[in-house]
Amino acid sequence: MRRAVAPLLTLTVALVLADSAVVTLALPDILVNLHTTVGQVAWVLISFNLVLGLVAVPSAVVFDRAQPRLLTAAGIAVFACASAWCASAGSIEVLVGARCVQALGGAFALLGCLELLVAAYGERRGVATWISAGVAGTAIGPVAGGLLTQAFSWQAIFIVQVPCAALAAPAALAVRAATPYVLPDRHRPALRPNLALALLSAALTAALFLLVLLLVEGWQRSPAAAALTVSVVPVAALAARPLAGLLRPPDEVEVAVGCFLIAGGLVGLAIPPSAELAWTIAPQALVGLGLGLAMDRLTSSALRLRLPRARHAAWTLGARHLGVVLGLALLTPVFTADLRDAQMPAEEAITSLVLDAPLQPQDKVAVARALGEELTSQQGRIPDLHHAFATLDVDPASRPATTTLERDLDDQLERAATHAFRDSFLLGALLAVLALAAVVVPGRRSTR
Amino acid sequence: MTAGPRVLLLPVFALALVTGVLGIQLAHGGASFEPLRPADPCAVRDVSAQASGIEGLSERLVLLGLDGAACRLHVSREALVLGLAQSGPRSPAQLAALRAGLLDAVQKLKDADALPPSSALVDDTLDSSDLNGFVKAAIRAIPDSVINSALPTDDVLTRTIDNLDLHTLLANLDDQQGLNRQLAAAVSHALKDSLTGQLPHLL
Repeated sequence: MRRAVAPLLTLTVALVLADSAVVTLALPDILVNLHTTVGQVAWVLISFNLVLGLVAVPSAVVFDRAQPRLLTAAGIAVFACASAWCASAGSIEVLVGARCVQALGGAFALLGCLELLVAAYGERRGVATWISAGVAGTAIGPVAGGLLTQAFSWQAIFIVQVPCAALAAPAALAVRAATPYVLPDRHRPALRPNLALALLSAALTAALFLLVLLLVEGWQRSPAAAALTVSVVPVAALAARPLAGLLRPPDEVEVAVGCFLIAGGLVGLAIPPSAELAWTIAPQALVGLGLGLAMDRLTSSALRLRLPRARHAAWTLGARHLGVVLGLALLTPVFTADLRDAQMPAEEAITSLVLDAPLQPQDKVAVARALGEELTSQQGRIPDLHHAFATLDVDPASRPATTTLERDLDDQLERAATHAFRDSFLLGALLAVLALAAVVVPGRRSTR
Repeated sequence: MTAGPRVLLLPVFALALVTGVLGIQLAHGGASFEPLRPADPCAVRDVSAQASGIEGLSERLVLLGLDGAACRLHVSREALVLGLAQSGPRSPAQLAALRAGLLDAVQKLKDADALPPSSALVDDTLDSSDLNGFVKAAIRAIPDSVINSALPTDDVLTRTIDNLDLHTLLANLDDQQGLNRQLAAAVSHALKDSLTGQLPHLL
């Protein structure tokens, strides 16, 4: 058991931080399953990040006054119970409420795990493990969520968290941590690293949240295909450490390069030459590499030589999760407005192709009628036109032409959806550039 | 390696990566993966039809007519079609532009020598017209050369378009039989008018 304690705590950190974006690929299923709206389902994502961002710093204050292992175990237990509650939620209101409780427990679990990992591994290794687990969880979250949704259901995402957390709670109690001591707030929060963390988290929302939406809703790929595609990000993030070890740049350069790579990757995602999944791989690799370089170093520099440790770790958590909320708040209205604006060009493109299709006039009328009904029934979503063609009653001689037409129309829809996401990805790139500016722009020299 | 060049290694590597990825994407048309833009309806467009006979001619006339109408209304052909497909009354400007566009289409096909002789269309027209059997048989007995000189295609089409009640026709788009009846009535009327008009020349 003793040997499993630290890995279990590390897994808990990854689990809680993965929860930030783990439901991204499950949102379409939740939308249908809980009979809710797009606006409401977004709160499954927002509520967790908002609550975690807001309660992180106040939770750290409690750690000054109580046994870390007790608070950690309590936090993990609350997180586990709330995960089970999420899985059994029968309405969107209950699910959002359970996610808020999950975030509250998660905040205590994260801060407590930092203290306990330091107690188990020592300062340097404990902090490094906590940071790396967080980066890995953030990167892996959407992939794991997508695969679980496809293999089982959206509820499976929360169910698998329960046993992991249930094991981690007694593990936390087993750690002999230092007794609590009230430390005066000796160091101010590191403003630049936390600001850069917030901006970079907002930018990464574009990569992790918008990309899966584009793949599932825009390009009509299955959650599993989308999950496998976005797995490029965590794989590339893993490559960041060996690369940094090889080139050994100063920390500031590593962070600046990380921000630049994320910005470049997001620009790449804004301009794919087609809706082939392969075109997202290289831009995602840039984002993953940037994530691995920047998030790690920014969190380290926000914590380095600052006490109390939990308080400064809480600032990094607050910055990251409020950054995600900022990203969602900025990007969601942009891409929903762009999707709305994309409807007319898409309809015009469809009309053009149907008018000029090499079909008999009566078949054109039949296609137009079927498409009209399908577009009306799928109002507010990027339509799937396959049903319209599958139920089409046309001359058998016209079948090859209708098959070609269906493929061309799907291509137009993919073009319209991709174009609608362009501005949001570019806005994400701008946020990454602002994070870069927060790191590299010289500040005022301290007079102290 | 000294600290100076080592500091530059990672930035140079990152710059090369980003430039490479974006360069390849742009070279493969990354910036132009957008939905098809509607063509200028005022520009000349080649239209073709899969159907033959009067159905094919009607399709080409409608496609050219939509272009002409859209050009007059300063909208794209596709926006006009989507507008006309909406339920509810069509504006007088839309109907006037559509009629003018169809008349322009007849003229364009005539200028391009793409109108078939009326004898080539007469069988199709008679099949769907409400003329009595005796008249139909009598017309079918007339030699093609006489029909072609008695019924210039452009004249029949122009009269048909003038006779069409476009408001009712657009309201009937979902009713194929009603649409055919209305078109057949307009064509029959145009045939009679054209014959009456050409009679003095024939005599």
